[in-house]
Amino acid sequence: MTDSKYFTTTKKGEIFELKAELNSDKKEKKKEAVKKVIASMTVGKDVSALFPDVVNCMQTDNLELKKLVYLYLMNYAKSQPDMAIMAVNTFVKVVANAVAALSEIAESHPSSNLLDLNPQSINKLLTALNECTEWGQIFILDCLANYTPKDDREAQSICERVTPRLSHANSAVVLSAVKVLMKFMEMLSKDLDYYGTLLKKLAPPLVTLLSAEPELQYVALRNINLIVQKRPEILKHEMKVFFVKYNDPIYVKLEKLDIMIRLASQANIAQVLAELKEYATEVDVDFVRKAVRAIGRCAIKVEQSAERCVSTLLDLIQTKVNYVVQEAIVVIKDIFRKYPNKYESVIATLCENLDSLDEPEARAAMIWIVGEYAERIDNADELLESFLEGFHDESTQVQLQLLTAIVKLFLKKPTETQELVQQVLSLATQDSDNPDLRDRGYIYWRLLSTDPVAAKEVVLAEKPLISEETDLIEPTLLDELICYIGTLASVYHKPPSAFVEGGRGVVHKSLPPRTASNESTESPETAPAGAPSGEQPDVIPTQGDLLGDLLNLDLGPPVSGPPLATSSVQMGAVDLLGGGLDSLIGGPNFVAPPAAAVPANLGATMGSGLSDLFDLTSGVGTLSGSYVAPKAVWLPAMKAKGLEISGTFTRQVGSISMDLQLTNKALQVMTDFAIQFNRNSFGLAPAAPLQVHAPLSPNQTVEISLPLNTVGSVMKMEPLNNLQVAVKNNIDVFYFSTLYPLHILFVEDGKMDRQMFLATWKDIPNENEAQFQIRDCPLNAEAVSSRLQSSNIFTVAKRNVEGQDMLYQSLKLTNGIWVLAELRIQPGNPSFTLSLKCRAPEVSQHVYQAYETILKN
Amino acid sequence: MISQFFILSSKGDPLIYKDFRGDSGGRDVAELFYRKLTGLPGDESPVVMHHDDRHFIHIRHSGLYLVATTSENISPFSLLELLSRLATLLGDYCGSLSEGTISRNVALVYELLDEVLDYGYVQTTSMEMLRNFIQTEAVVSKPFSLFDLSSVGLFGAETQQSKVAPSTAASRPVLASRSDQSQKNEVFLDVVERLSVLIASNGSLLKVDVQGEIRLKSFLPSGSEMRIGLTEEFCVGKSELRGYGPGIRVDEVSFHSSVLLEEFESHRILRLQPPQGELTVMRYQLSDDLPSPLPFRLFPSVQWDRGSGSQALNVRLHLPLPRGVVSLSQELSGPEQKAELGEGALRWDLPRVQGGSQLSGLFQMDVPGLPGPPGQGHSATAPLGLGPASLSFELPRHTCSGLQVRFLRLAFRPCGSTSPHKWVRHLSHSDAYVIRI
Repeated sequence: MTDSKYFTTTKKGEIFELKAELNSDKKEKKKEAVKKVIASMTVGKDVSALFPDVVNCMQTDNLELKKLVYLYLMNYAKSQPDMAIMAVNTFVKVVANAVAALSEIAESHPSSNLLDLNPQSINKLLTALNECTEWGQIFILDCLANYTPKDDREAQSICERVTPRLSHANSAVVLSAVKVLMKFMEMLSKDLDYYGTLLKKLAPPLVTLLSAEPELQYVALRNINLIVQKRPEILKHEMKVFFVKYNDPIYVKLEKLDIMIRLASQANIAQVLAELKEYATEVDVDFVRKAVRAIGRCAIKVEQSAERCVSTLLDLIQTKVNYVVQEAIVVIKDIFRKYPNKYESVIATLCENLDSLDEPEARAAMIWIVGEYAERIDNADELLESFLEGFHDESTQVQLQLLTAIVKLFLKKPTETQELVQQVLSLATQDSDNPDLRDRGYIYWRLLSTDPVAAKEVVLAEKPLISEETDLIEPTLLDELICYIGTLASVYHKPPSAFVEGGRGVVHKSLPPRTASNESTESPETAPAGAPSGEQPDVIPTQGDLLGDLLNLDLGPPVSGPPLATSSVQMGAVDLLGGGLDSLIGGPNFVAPPAAAVPANLGATMGSGLSDLFDLTSGVGTLSGSYVAPKAVWLPAMKAKGLEISGTFTRQVGSISMDLQLTNKALQVMTDFAIQFNRNSFGLAPAAPLQVHAPLSPNQTVEISLPLNTVGSVMKMEPLNNLQVAVKNNIDVFYFSTLYPLHILFVEDGKMDRQMFLATWKDIPNENEAQFQIRDCPLNAEAVSSRLQSSNIFTVAKRNVEGQDMLYQSLKLTNGIWVLAELRIQPGNPSFTLSLKCRAPEVSQHVYQAYETILKN
Repeated sequence: MISQFFILSSKGDPLIYKDFRGDSGGRDVAELFYRKLTGLPGDESPVVMHHDDRHFIHIRHSGLYLVATTSENISPFSLLELLSRLATLLGDYCGSLSEGTISRNVALVYELLDEVLDYGYVQTTSMEMLRNFIQTEAVVSKPFSLFDLSSVGLFGAETQQSKVAPSTAASRPVLASRSDQSQKNEVFLDVVERLSVLIASNGSLLKVDVQGEIRLKSFLPSGSEMRIGLTEEFCVGKSELRGYGPGIRVDEVSFHSSVLLEEFESHRILRLQPPQGELTVMRYQLSDDLPSPLPFRLFPSVQWDRGSGSQALNVRLHLPLPRGVVSLSQELSGPEQKAELGEGALRWDLPRVQGGSQLSGLFQMDVPGLPGPPGQGHSATAPLGLGPASLSFELPRHTCSGLQVRFLRLAFRPCGSTSPHKWVRHLSHSDAYVIRI
């Protein structure tokens, strides 16, 4: 008797027959009947009509029959809920479910505190880890990964107890252990011996996974891809295991190829290239294409190998295999971009293959090469003209490239190619329906007709270098994905929110911060800008203590007290001091009237408009001028025997100055002005003496701009941007202290190269990252970017991630400190998130204030 | 946690379907899965696929698709592990895994699933635990007889050697019938190595990689203890030294959790109480330094390089040829050999290769439209699309690492029946044996 015959009965009265059998007195017959019912159920037949009869069969001592009924019941419980409930009571569940309950709780109530993780409970979990089944171990390890140890010592001790799981036979246990280790490693110092030990222990289990079945291999490779990006050192000696086997499925091959490139370095590039060359001669077209691309990526990533890569590519072009040639040309274009004026000797060979190119990407690449090097190719005009014949049949990509290439050619060889350029411009503007093409055509046309010199500057401008790693996952996403190692997210390379509906169990996870940085990252968030702090910033009142040091001048302590208004003229400013003071964390000197509109930088907006069109990066005509705060009273008259000093700091075209306004409120004439700064954090010092040309008579005001430089002596101040100043006149010496906004120190060449940015961002330890909220800023990403740029905060890259604009920005201080920023802007949400990374984390707070100041004024 | 589990036949018909959480669309997901799978572009991975918020993870086993779905961000590793455990379990219970055995044992499969998973959570995959709960008995296609077959088999691989246990001996239900337990006291122990080799066109070795495992399939009552003695010169890691000779060196070893290792350090003896069913006792791998010379070389010819007492079976040379080959003429050294042209490649089958022999095959191809040798002086290079050659083969009674099982001793003596049959086999087979041309 076999079950298969149950599948074959198709008689009409089947249900009736079954019903009769189900109600039979014989146990055997009943059992057979229930089996038949289940077989029908599996193939999708509706046997729900038999529900009462099947349930009746449950009244038996025979366990086998009981379980069969249970199977049926589970399937139809939904359609017959009432009957099912009655039936369920007769079952006793056999399986103990402690582990499942634990994980159910953990997963389904992410916000509740049902599963409170503390050192004690963690310890219990770690003990349980050794005692439960492999499946339970997975749940426990995943639970551990959600815990944030309180310090590096705790992290290390957990790691030590988790490490033995790496040699488990169940790959799910291994990967969950890897996740815990990768996460907690963040907290360990790299100098620690244990850190190195851990790195060494992580490689073998990952390598072992690659000898599993292809399905497991693939999932493992996707995870390794993340791990390699986060910590390349783990697998840097394991290149060979990623070599492709001929019988690997294609999806495994492609993943291996990707990891090979990520691991490629000067040390192993020869080996990698030899492999890639072999792959490029295989039969699978998809794989061959990727292999050729990979050679190009090697050239771009490892500079020393570029020459060898180019000659390998040339060898491949010689094979004349159509798709190989086309891929090779596409990557050679990238190599030209990366290493200009180095390998152009191969252009002749490329041109030989012009006719065989039938894919848009390859055609576009070839046209780009011809346009870019038009001056070296004798028959460039003929080549481009040949493409022009079928202009309207080309894809948009090729059309756009052709237009630009011919304009380039015209700018380089204007005499011979006038006709050609006319032709392409009219094709693009008059005969095309594509708005992109038309607009680009019009712009070129106008540029060429109004100002050929400008056209040359724009079209033939120096191009930004391309980054070496083309498809790196951006750092914040990578960090998040590392927390999801061994889950579906790590296979899709997307955060779970992108593919799990309803958000159940989706909590945004992040790597634990390094222990030391906890305070510095939290304080800005707990003291949001705009909320009254209640405390008066104590910069000025406490100056008395510091004054002894100042300038080594020996004078009595000045009168200390709250600044007071001394004249009606100054009322406005004083009000601001009184009312607006509270709202600032930094100090009184940034105070600006809320209604004061900052003059828009006309040059900058025009420049950025242009640069958008031509995809040039730095604004063309940016008049470099940082935001200037209105003058504030620094030294009230009553503290300085009638001399009132108010001022502000400016930065214009690379030079910093202190704009002062001196008012004589005394009854006598003031002369013999001089100024001196105390040592300060950035070495700010007057670049020229204070020039007050005429004696200052009573009630007279004079405006002076004092140029500053940053070559003075340096002493770290508290707060960092504190500046102590002494002013002398014929009456006395007066001291005051002020805070300068940090953005006057942002230099004009603070734009970091993209790849440099990525590398630096990765390189700066996470403990140096600080996060801030900028609230109530109504600007959009474009406006933010251009406004910040006028204060020398440069946008290196912009990305749109899940509807949010991510601006990656860099700035450099006068003392050479780089600050990298990631600004997250959600459309419709006036609060921005600013993440700052800097090797000197103490500047972050002040950079944040600079952002606030610039964006809100 | 798993939402649904189903088994599809190779043609996409559902054989088994079970919904664990009731949180998802219903049974048409099986059809949806099959549609997605067959419509997938070539370079995309079918392992993890998703449709809206439903994620499919599957393995292919004996022509069947074992599929799990989930709607949560859970570990794909645990699903893949579970699916392959289920495949083993179903094999153990039903004898072998195939469309026929599954449809014959629907009720048993459901019962198993029911015990393995509860509300989509894995409870246990251990044979030991499950046997307490499973009531249904497996239906086997035909009665098992020890002597009615002459071909041998590993648990999966078929070879043609006689005098070893019949192939179906290992492919019958582990817990067959409760009535006649007496005569089935058998243990199968296999040392199986997979060999991956990459040889450059100049004959230099680029990569050697051996993955070995010792697999045990036990029909003994569980709880019976056994001891497995391995070669004493067996060394783990690069630095360890044992014995006098070169030793049997492997890079890494891992053991099943039921293996007791107290005698391993001193005498290389593994002690274990295996549960009934199949289990991988030990896994090991070594790369780069192979103690024995490589079994095959291919210059213009294929050479079989072992001592004359041994032989290789089912050797097949696979040589991709340039596109557009229209004809092939051949000159082979033996009558039983066969060379065929198919799917852009040459396939040369050698059913049996005696150790120490050299075989030759001369193939002449006609490729119209193939560009001549490119460039100047490059005439020696092969045209694009030719090669690399890959060999697949089985080497019975041979392990590339040199590891041998010295003995297999059972502490257990079943009363009233003959002493158990013990079958120990050694076998190496190719994983990827590639010679570049």
